[in-house]
Amino acid sequence: MEIYKKKIKRRKYLLMLAALIAAGFGIFDVFYADSWLSGNIAFNFQCGLVIAGGLLSLVKIFQYRKVLKDENFLKLEYNKENDERRKAIRKKAGIPMILIMSVIILIAGIVAGYFNEIVFLTLIVTALCQLITGLAVKMYYTRRM
Amino acid sequence: MSQEELAMIVGTTRQTITSIEVGKYTASLVLAHKIAKCFELTIEEIFDFSESDNEMKG
Repeated sequence: MEIYKKKIKRRKYLLMLAALIAAGFGIFDVFYADSWLSGNIAFNFQCGLVIAGGLLSLVKIFQYRKVLKDENFLKLEYNKENDERRKAIRKKAGIPMILIMSVIILIAGIVAGYFNEIVFLTLIVTALCQLITGLAVKMYYTRRM
Repeated sequence: MSQEELAMIVGTTRQTITSIEVGKYTASLVLAHKIAKCFELTIEEIFDFSESDNEMKG
């Protein structure tokens, strides 16, 4: 349990860093981005994504703080993370690969968005459809198992 | 003992214990062993293998 506690602390620090980067990005977007960048759909999407990531990081940081304070919550979180049924569901639904592919498609979409808006929209919609499909399959296996 | 307490002892979640009880999910050998150890019984006494026994015979 001590090893897991250290793991949670490390995650907390990484999330703090992510939240700081997101905040930096937000400040850059508001005060320093010139008009060409601010008008670009890919840049605005990217900023939105980073800020959303930052907010999610904050939520997770508060969650981890709560977990680190209470041994009971720590044990519950450990059991949840290492639950074999949960791992089996994720494996059957192919969640790891879906997440990796969706992130790659999102990054490709954002890069392409600086050159072509239609390609950007197509790739973003593809990534979203992939994520929704993955979620649906995961829910199916959750009910089945 | 509640499902939550059992889940806490064997290192899994309440949802997994529920799924095992209703037969939707088959526990791994390690988890089955932990559950049996918790109740101080054997795996055969906790889990019903009659269906798979019939399949083997049939």
